[in-house]
Amino acid sequence: MSLKTLTKPWAATSYGFLDASAKREMRRKILKAIAVPGCQMPYASREVPMARGWGTGGLQVTLTLVNPRSVVKVIDQGADDGVNAASIRRFISRVSQAEETWDTLAASIVQSRHRIPEETMTKDQILVLQVPNPEPLRGVEPNISIARQMHADADYGKLWLTLYEQLVKAGRIMQGAAYPSLVNGRHVMTPSPIPRWDVPKLNMARHLTILSAGREKRLFAVPPHTRVEPLVFSDRPYLVEDHARLVCERSGIAGYFMNEIPQDDGSSTFEVSDSNLGIKAIRASEGAPAEIGETWYRNGKFAQ
Amino acid sequence: MAYVATRGGERAIDQAERLFREDLGTIDAERVETIRTAMPYLVDRVMGEASFYSEELAALALAQTGGELSEAVLVLRAWRTTQPRIGIAATVQQEQLLTQRRISAAFKDIPGGQILGPTLDYSHRVLATDVLEGTPFVPPAVEPADTAAPAQQPSLAAWQRQLGLVAPLPEAAAAGAEIPDLTREPLLFPASRAHRLQSLARAETGGVLALGYAAMRGYGNAHPTVNELRLAEAEVMVRHPSGTPFSAGRIRVSQAEVTAKREYLDLGFAATFGWNEIKVIASATLDLNSAAAPVGSPVHEEFYLYHTESVEASGFCIHFKLPHYVTFQSALDAMRDAKAKKQTAAANLVAEREEEPVA
Repeated sequence: MSLKTLTKPWAATSYGFLDASAKREMRRKILKAIAVPGCQMPYASREVPMARGWGTGGLQVTLTLVNPRSVVKVIDQGADDGVNAASIRRFISRVSQAEETWDTLAASIVQSRHRIPEETMTKDQILVLQVPNPEPLRGVEPNISIARQMHADADYGKLWLTLYEQLVKAGRIMQGAAYPSLVNGRHVMTPSPIPRWDVPKLNMARHLTILSAGREKRLFAVPPHTRVEPLVFSDRPYLVEDHARLVCERSGIAGYFMNEIPQDDGSSTFEVSDSNLGIKAIRASEGAPAEIGETWYRNGKFAQ
Repeated sequence: MAYVATRGGERAIDQAERLFREDLGTIDAERVETIRTAMPYLVDRVMGEASFYSEELAALALAQTGGELSEAVLVLRAWRTTQPRIGIAATVQQEQLLTQRRISAAFKDIPGGQILGPTLDYSHRVLATDVLEGTPFVPPAVEPADTAAPAQQPSLAAWQRQLGLVAPLPEAAAAGAEIPDLTREPLLFPASRAHRLQSLARAETGGVLALGYAAMRGYGNAHPTVNELRLAEAEVMVRHPSGTPFSAGRIRVSQAEVTAKREYLDLGFAATFGWNEIKVIASATLDLNSAAAPVGSPVHEEFYLYHTESVEASGFCIHFKLPHYVTFQSALDAMRDAKAKKQTAAANLVAEREEEPVA
């Protein structure tokens, strides 16, 4: 037996870029986050070869979960070929030899910024959401130490008050994306800046969701079959974006979250935000084989 | 496949990076070496903010980013984080530093003496335009002093402590592996002193200057006097597995101690890799102001530590270039609905009024 047989050949970085001690910390923090749904867990958050605020939190989670048999989908604003999504996906596959995909159904890990795919995710899939600001209380309490104490006391009065103020001033709750939601009846979390359309997809989902903010060094999780309830008043129902009747100009499908495309004549057209769903619909219409999976929304209505 | 062809993000990012790299041209070892030797203070700044001491790699980082400082620091930190920690060096002791510059503004003279060392402080800041006319600038030779300054200098604070001017040191300080490592643990608040000083050591120079300057101008509660400022070289003493301590080399370090008078002379402290006086004076001022800082003020540790983190701050700043059309769409939806609701309400109000009998 020689030293050579006992060691691996030299490599510039470890498998999956992060070294073993970083991955161990991530695994421990992920397990902790799963154990206390919606509660933010601080982690060291190593630098990765990407700028902070560009998905480094999601990336560290994915790099920890990934293995050579993984199939990874990365989207930004719902699109697989968004420039940053492309950059992240290429990095992940380069350092892990994982397979890349655009198909939600084929993915074992979906890393996303600002969207949850429209096709229903299953128990064998993990959704990794990139989070810019993990603190739902930031708007009412910028100091992290005080906000932490408020979470400990389940003191969400100020948050309720801002929602109430919006109701009084504007006639409706004005929160756009990142709608604050109560997880497992205990911790209020930000679901990351996904549209309101996507928040119901987290409630009692079959898949595990890990939300990670690299710059702010916090991660939290929604385990499968966990309640995620947007904060609403009992007499004012939760309103998702009014997209149910919009039709995608390119693919012709309707009943999903859309991107608005302003036109020269002052009008707007729409295209489906989940870009690969649009591609599948186009292929199907051209007679090519394209399997569109079960979707969370059917005919523009959330179907639980 | 028309849908895919019109998007083509992957090709776009490839070519955009090529454009940037093409402008910088070929990078070879010679260019890196030129940067390293010609710009030691820039290299120092990058090493300090990256908390990674390697002149060669810092110069390489500068070369391949074209001197885009935030990018250079990021690329160096991303390299650093992949490196194993194979040992922990002995704590650097102030009086063992090979001190090249040491000044105190608190006293006319101090035990060990004021040593100006290399500085531009008293130079006239005039551009040497002759260089561009073909006359190289050749620095005049330094005339050695009759007696060389001692390589090592006592600590001024230790002398002040003996006289009871400075509060006694806390019980035995943590050493070796007991010292928490900010690069392997999250920064939590209230921060341990080790975390605060480590965070300041890798803070962005411009960031600590802005907030430190705010404190100096009056947004802080303590006005700093430079008790002792040092530019020095420190031996990195590590232990061989056989047990023998040895020096793994010397690194340039800066340290600043600033003071304000309360019950004792309060000391604020900062140190960093490389020679960077502005950074350590500003950082030490923030440290000095922390104790009595109101929550949310720029001199409160949570405020200044978060907002002077160079990689985090610069990354978040540039992330606003990323598409945000989903969140924008979501907000637009709420706005339009609120507007429609208001118009309906106004119309109803008009209708109600019209129904009222005119007196």
